[in-house]
Amino acid sequence: MSKFTKAFLFASIIFAPFAANAVTVASWGGAYTESQKKAYADTYSDPGSIVFENYNGGLGETRAQVESGNVTWDLVDVLPADAITGCDEGLFEDISSEIASMGVPGPDGESIAEDMEANGLNYHSGWDCCVPQIFWTYVVFYDPDAFPGEKPDSMADFFDVEKFPGKRGIHTWADGIIQKALVADGVAPNAVPTVFANQTGAIDRAFEVMDKIKDHVVFWSAGSQPLELVKSGEVVMAVAYNGRVGAANLAEGENFEYIWEGQVLDQEYLCLTTGAPNREAALDFMMHASSPASQAEQAKYITYGPMRASGIPIIEANEPWGPGGVDIMPHMPNTPERLKVSIVNDPQWWSDNGAEISERYSAWMGN
Amino acid sequence: MPIGDMLFRSVDDSQINGVFPNTFNEYKKWDKEKDELPPEEVYKALFEELAYGEKIQIGRALTRMNYSKSGWKSLIKTTSREIKKAVKKDELPNNYKEFLITANEKWADPTFWYAMGQMVNDTTPIYYWNALDRTYDQDQNVVMQDEKRRIYIKTWIKTLKISVYVTIFCLILGFPVAHLLANLPLRYSNLLMIFVLLPFWTSLLVRTTAWIVMLQQNGVINGILVWLGILSDDGRLQLVYNETGTLIAMTQILLPFMILPLYSVMRVIPKSHMRAAQNLGAKPATAFWRVYLPQTIPGMSAGGLLVFVLAIGYFITPELVGGKDGKLIGHWIAYHLKTTLNWGLCAALGAILLGVMLIFYWLYNKIVGIDNIKLG
Repeated sequence: MSKFTKAFLFASIIFAPFAANAVTVASWGGAYTESQKKAYADTYSDPGSIVFENYNGGLGETRAQVESGNVTWDLVDVLPADAITGCDEGLFEDISSEIASMGVPGPDGESIAEDMEANGLNYHSGWDCCVPQIFWTYVVFYDPDAFPGEKPDSMADFFDVEKFPGKRGIHTWADGIIQKALVADGVAPNAVPTVFANQTGAIDRAFEVMDKIKDHVVFWSAGSQPLELVKSGEVVMAVAYNGRVGAANLAEGENFEYIWEGQVLDQEYLCLTTGAPNREAALDFMMHASSPASQAEQAKYITYGPMRASGIPIIEANEPWGPGGVDIMPHMPNTPERLKVSIVNDPQWWSDNGAEISERYSAWMGN
Repeated sequence: MPIGDMLFRSVDDSQINGVFPNTFNEYKKWDKEKDELPPEEVYKALFEELAYGEKIQIGRALTRMNYSKSGWKSLIKTTSREIKKAVKKDELPNNYKEFLITANEKWADPTFWYAMGQMVNDTTPIYYWNALDRTYDQDQNVVMQDEKRRIYIKTWIKTLKISVYVTIFCLILGFPVAHLLANLPLRYSNLLMIFVLLPFWTSLLVRTTAWIVMLQQNGVINGILVWLGILSDDGRLQLVYNETGTLIAMTQILLPFMILPLYSVMRVIPKSHMRAAQNLGAKPATAFWRVYLPQTIPGMSAGGLLVFVLAIGYFITPELVGGKDGKLIGHWIAYHLKTTLNWGLCAALGAILLGVMLIFYWLYNKIVGIDNIKLG
């Protein structure tokens, strides 16, 4: 046996136990995963036992792992529609009783589900397999310098190129923008999901509103692009992930204004993969990550809002909460008064209609 | 093996047929001319298969059903809940049809039942039809997809068009560079080679982003043109977030794949050939055209095929710089693989892509001959 082989065997004996016990969390990477590492892993009783791996969203890899019986991801950070599909398909394990019994309660004993309902969410089957993470939103923002006179402050303004001339930055997929279009057309933000679900022709109506600005749109496809578009003056207003705008304002000294009206709140979940190799440890970490304290902690590092309503008072009471003594609440999407003018996305409706709408949206862009 | 698996998945529909065997059997007996809605036996079979089926298998089937018509997922889920309640209380309905329609009125909507017709066989060509903007009508005739949803044929044409253009541009730009590299003294050509390879070693995303900075309306190129007075400040060109940007960025990124094979072929063409031709009375242009160029064909073919194959499956660069024109077929394959989990459609799109490649390969073999390809 060569020296090298011996060293290798030795090393694998030494390191194997650590590698085998580490809980692997698949997440989106970038600043978001950084914030998870700081807020969830570093505050955990055993930070070394959590390993993050990057992926690009969707259930493709998870399904391949579960189907082949070769599961390497214990936990997956997913969008709500994927939480629903994954739970329905059995890609994620139904742990509803564990969540109810092990979940960290809020200060007044609120359960995870009660906390989410307080934020305007309704039960869906994703709740059986997953614990909540953050609210992220599609929000419109602009550089106030671009509007010396009157400043836009509503969705109607965003869709009105005569009142506020200039290009708009919009993403290349439908989710987020078609809801905003209805708000511009006079639907109350809170009513948008029910209008889509119950009124035939609501989708056509949204597309008609979007037609008005179609010739004034620059389409973006990566989260950093809208910031670049507004900064360089390519567009005057853009839809973006609010966390990106918050980071630009807090860390890069920008002075962007948000239009909170018609922001589309979407959810984010941490789910347990069926057949996860470190099931027990992963469950324990899930409960830690979904505690109100961890969720509030995360807001220090990225301006996404805690999905548990009891996370918000922790931030409010301890301002300035952000690093370097900055206030975080001005950038939180789910304060009570902002929730009043927000659209809370209905993931079940999207998981029913998402594919069809995205095809329509593409056809619309291309025409 | 993976290709076989892909081809199998593109026609396979056995999973859902394992979940609803009786429902589908009864469904096939439904006479659509006679009855507006399926007979009671279909409702009964569906009730039983939802009541006693394995939850996970039903979940998988739901995902599949939703491809045929939006709304299946919540329809089955709400219905299942009612069925489970009834079974728990041991209250089996006398009239299953009535029960289901009370549970969810959509069971009285024939369009859902028509959509079920797509799924009742173990194998199906429907994914291929979907990949070509077609679907089934109520009698399983192939018809065009709703006009507002037709995207795939357009995307196929766009993908092919961009790939062909990128290949041509790479050839036009790459040929002189490769020629220069092959004919300069070694110390200069090595330096130049580094200029070719340096971007090749740079991250794809960095290069793509650099192009955005160069091409945007307040970017470098527009800035210079305005400064030179060629463009007015209001007349800045839209060079990025459209097809132009896609072509420019993809050409630059794929250029080394053209230059390298061309270079390695050109380097071994003896310089004496051109001299001999000119000695024998050919003008330089004729000598180039009739003596030099034919000898570079193996390099052009290798480079051309390489660039074309890479371009046809590209999707990151076009997405970033292409704006509304940036969704090529690779985007949709990735979308259905990850987001809708419609692996059947994915496989069909992949199989068609493979078919297109084989056609080009065959054409190439007919015209140039496949033995003629050379990487050096």
